[in-house]
Amino acid sequence: MSSNHHLVLRVVAKLLIPAIALFAFYVQFHGDFGPGGGFQAGVILAVAVILYALIFGVDEARRAVPPWLVRAGCAAGVLIYAGVGVATLIGGEAYLDYDALGPEHHHGQHLGILLVELGVLTTVASVMLAIFYAFAGRAPDIPDEEW
Amino acid sequence: MSAADVISLYPAFIVEHAAPLVVVVPLIAAALAAMTPGQRPAWLITLGATGASTLLAILLLAQTMTQGVVSYALGGWVAPIGIEYRVDQLNAMILLLVGVFGFLCALYAPRSVDDEIPQSMRGLFYSCFLVCFTGLMGVAITGDAFNLFVFLEISSLSTYVLVGIGSHRDRRALTASYNYLILGTIGATFFVLGVGFLYAATGTLNIADMAERLSGLEASSTVRAGFAFIVVGLGLKVAMYPLHSWLPNAYTFAPSVVTAFLASTATKVAFYALVRFFYSVFDPGFVFEGAFWIWLVAPLGVIAMLAASVQAVFQTDIRRLFAFSSVAQVGYMLLGLSFGTAAGLGAGLLHLLNHAMMKGALFMAIGAAALRFGVMRIEEFRGLGRTMPFTMAAFTIAGLSLIGVPLTAGFVSKFALLNAALERGWWWAVVAIAVSSILALIYVGRIIEAAYLKAPPTRDGVSAARAPAPLSMLIPLWTLALANVWFGVNAGFTTSLACNAAMMLTGDGVCIGPGAAP
Amino acid sequence: MTAREAAEVASPFLFHEIVFLDIAILAMMAGVGWAIIRERRLFVVVMLSGAYSLLSAAFFVALDAVDVAFTEAAVGAGISTTLMLAAMLLTAREARRPAAGMRIAPLAVVAVTGAALLYATTDLPDFGDPDSPANAYVGRAYLVRTPDEVGTPNVVTAVLASYRGYDTLGETVVIFTAGLGVMLLLGLRGARRSKYAEARRQRQAAARLENQLNNSDEDETS
Repeated sequence: MSSNHHLVLRVVAKLLIPAIALFAFYVQFHGDFGPGGGFQAGVILAVAVILYALIFGVDEARRAVPPWLVRAGCAAGVLIYAGVGVATLIGGEAYLDYDALGPEHHHGQHLGILLVELGVLTTVASVMLAIFYAFAGRAPDIPDEEW
Repeated sequence: MSAADVISLYPAFIVEHAAPLVVVVPLIAAALAAMTPGQRPAWLITLGATGASTLLAILLLAQTMTQGVVSYALGGWVAPIGIEYRVDQLNAMILLLVGVFGFLCALYAPRSVDDEIPQSMRGLFYSCFLVCFTGLMGVAITGDAFNLFVFLEISSLSTYVLVGIGSHRDRRALTASYNYLILGTIGATFFVLGVGFLYAATGTLNIADMAERLSGLEASSTVRAGFAFIVVGLGLKVAMYPLHSWLPNAYTFAPSVVTAFLASTATKVAFYALVRFFYSVFDPGFVFEGAFWIWLVAPLGVIAMLAASVQAVFQTDIRRLFAFSSVAQVGYMLLGLSFGTAAGLGAGLLHLLNHAMMKGALFMAIGAAALRFGVMRIEEFRGLGRTMPFTMAAFTIAGLSLIGVPLTAGFVSKFALLNAALERGWWWAVVAIAVSSILALIYVGRIIEAAYLKAPPTRDGVSAARAPAPLSMLIPLWTLALANVWFGVNAGFTTSLACNAAMMLTGDGVCIGPGAAP
Repeated sequence: MTAREAAEVASPFLFHEIVFLDIAILAMMAGVGWAIIRERRLFVVVMLSGAYSLLSAAFFVALDAVDVAFTEAAVGAGISTTLMLAAMLLTAREARRPAAGMRIAPLAVVAVTGAALLYATTDLPDFGDPDSPANAYVGRAYLVRTPDEVGTPNVVTAVLASYRGYDTLGETVVIFTAGLGVMLLLGLRGARRSKYAEARRQRQAAARLENQLNNSDEDETS
C-alpha cells in the first residue's frame, strides 16, 4: 500500500489507538468496581494493535509488537496466574488462597485479584494477536477496491 | 509396602497439597515448555512433569486407601462456595492411569516426534501435549461440575491441535481434526447446557452437594433434560456408538505418539466422567436413569461391540482398524456399566484399565513400525516379525490380550464381564461378548499372520534388513506388553482398584472378587 | 375487571415494559439468525454475526448481566468479527450450497435439541425469582459474604477471580491452548502463503498491471 492512501483513516486511527489502549487499562483496573476485567481488557488491548495493523499494514504492526513477544506473552500470562497459586502455597495457605499474600484480609485478596487479572490480560491479548498475525500474515494486503 | 509407608516417603508439604499439584505441575510445565526455545529442554520438562504428576497420583491413591476421600478446597473456599478437588477410589485410579500413560508416552515420544513433526514446532508440540495431560488430570480430579467442563475443554482443544499436527505427514489430519472439533464442541456445549440446567435446579455446582439437592427432584423436567444433555455431551467424548464418527479418522491421522496417548487415556477419562454423573450426581435409583441404562446404554454397547468390530475386520489401515476396535471396547465398558451392579461396573472399570494397556502397547508398536518402515497398511506389515522382532513380539502380546486369550489382562476383564452378565441373566450379552471376541481374533489375526507367516518385502532379490525399534520406544512398549501379562496372571491390584471403586459407587458389598479371576 | 387487568394480576411481569424490549431484541436476533443461515456471501455472514453478538450483548444488559454483556460486546461483536474477517480473506468469498440430502439430518438434530430445551424450561424457576435455587443458595452467599471476605465492590469480580478463581485459571489455559493451536497449525510469521491467497495475489497483480497500462498518465503507484 502506498503511503498517501487513506489519509483520513490514518489520522483518525492515530488519534484512536492510544485512547483504545488507555480504555483497555481502565477496564482492567476498574474491574473491581464495575464490569470488566482481564478478559475484556485483553481483547480491547489486542484490538488497538489490530487496528494499527489494519491501517498501517501487518509488517508495521509486527515491528511494533514482534511475534516472539506475542509467543512469550501467551505462556507468560498462564505462568503469572499459576504462579500466584504457587506463591500462596509457599505462603502456607491453599492453592490460590490470596489471603496468604497480604497481612490483612482484604489486602491479600486485592493483590491476588490484581495479579491474576494481569495474567489473564497478558494471555488474552497475546493470543488474540497471535491469531490475528497467523491469519493476516497469510493473506495479502487488502486491495484498494475492497475497502 | 503398605499405603501408609508410601505416604511417609513424601514430604509433608507435598502430602498436604498433592491434589492441586497433580494438575498444576504439568500446567506450569506446559507454559514453560512453550517458552523454551529448544526441543530437548521442552521434552525434558515434559518427562519431568508427567513423572512428577504420576508420583503425586500414586500418593493420592495411597491417601485414599488410608483415609478414604481426599478433599481440597481451592482458594481456601470450602465447597459449595468454592471449587473442591475430591479424590476417592474411582478418580485416584483414573489419575494413576493418566499419569502412567502420560509418562510412558513422554518417554516414547522423542524419536517418533523427530520423525513426524517439523523441528520448529516440536517445543510447542510438547507444550500442547502437556496441556492435554493437564486437562485430563483436571477432569479426573475435580469435584465440581463446571470445573470439570473447563478442564474437559482444555483437554479437548489441545486434542484437536494434537490431531491436526499430523498434517505434516498426511494432510487429511486437518479434516479429521476439524470434524473432531465440530463434534467435540457440540458435545461440550451439550454438556455445559446440562450442567446449567442442574445449576438452575439445585443452585450448586459442587458434585456431592448437587447429588444431595437432586434427591426428590427426579420428576423435574429441567433435571431430566439436564441428564439427557450431559449424557449426549459426554457420549460424544466417549465415542458411544452412534456418536463415534470422529474417532477413526482422528486416531488414524494423528501423530503416532498422540494416538497412543489418546487411545489409552482420552476416552477413558470421558468414560470416568460419565460414570461420575451416572452414580455420584444422579441416583441410579431414579426411574428414568434405570430405564435409560437398560433401553439405551446396554443395546448401544452391544451394537458397538458387534458393528464396530465388523467394521474393524474390513479395514486396511492398521490404525483405523484399531480405532474401530476402540469403539467396540468402549461398548464393553458401557455394557458393564449398564448392568447396574458392582460386578458389572467393576468389570467395566477393569476393562478400562486393561484396554488402556492393550491399545497403548498396540499403537506404540505401530508407531515404531511407522518410524522404521513408514508402514501403515496390513499388507505392508508382512515380515515385520523378522525385521522388527521385539516390536512385533510386544504387539502380539497386546493383540492376544485384546482378543482375550487366557493369561492376559484382556481375559481377566472379559471373564469378569461374562460373570456379571450371567449374574444378571443377560444371555444375549454373553453371546455378544463371545462374538465380539471372535471378531477381534479375526482382525488381530490378519495382522499377526502378515507379520509372521509372510516373507519381508524384497527389493532386487534382497529382503528388507532387520531394523529393531530404538530403545527409547521399546522400553515403554515392553513395559505395557509385560503389564498385559502381569495383570493377566496376577490381577489382584487392578481388580481391587476397579472393585473398590465399583463397590463405593454402587453401595454393593460384593464385586468380582479375587476368586472370580483365574 | 378487564381481561388485561386479569392478566396483570395473574402475571404482572408479562406487561412490564422491559418485556417488550426483550421481545423486540429477541425478534431481531431471530431475524439476524435466519439471515445468517440463508446468506451465502461470507462477508455478509461475518458482519451479521457481529450484529447478532451486539444484539445478544444488548439482551444481556436487559437481563441485568452487564459483565456478560460487556464480554459479549468485546469478544463476540468486536474481536471475533475482526478475526473472522481475517480468516475469510484466506478462503473463498461465497459459501457453497450444501447438497439437499445433507440438510435433513442436521435439521432433525436441531429440532430434537430445541424440543429438549423447551421441555427443560417447563420446570425452570421464574426469571428473577429471589427464592430460586440459583439465587437463594450459593448465589446469595456470594452477595452476603463478598464485602466481608473479599472486599471488591463488584461481586462478579470476586466470584470470577477469587471464589471460583481456579476456573478462571482454567479459562486462561483454554485461551493459551487456542494460541498454541494457531501457532502450531498456522505459524506466526505467515511465511507459507495459502493456495487461495497466492492465487488471489497473482490475480490482483495482473489486474493492477492492466490498470496501469490503461491509465498510464495518472500513475500513482510508482
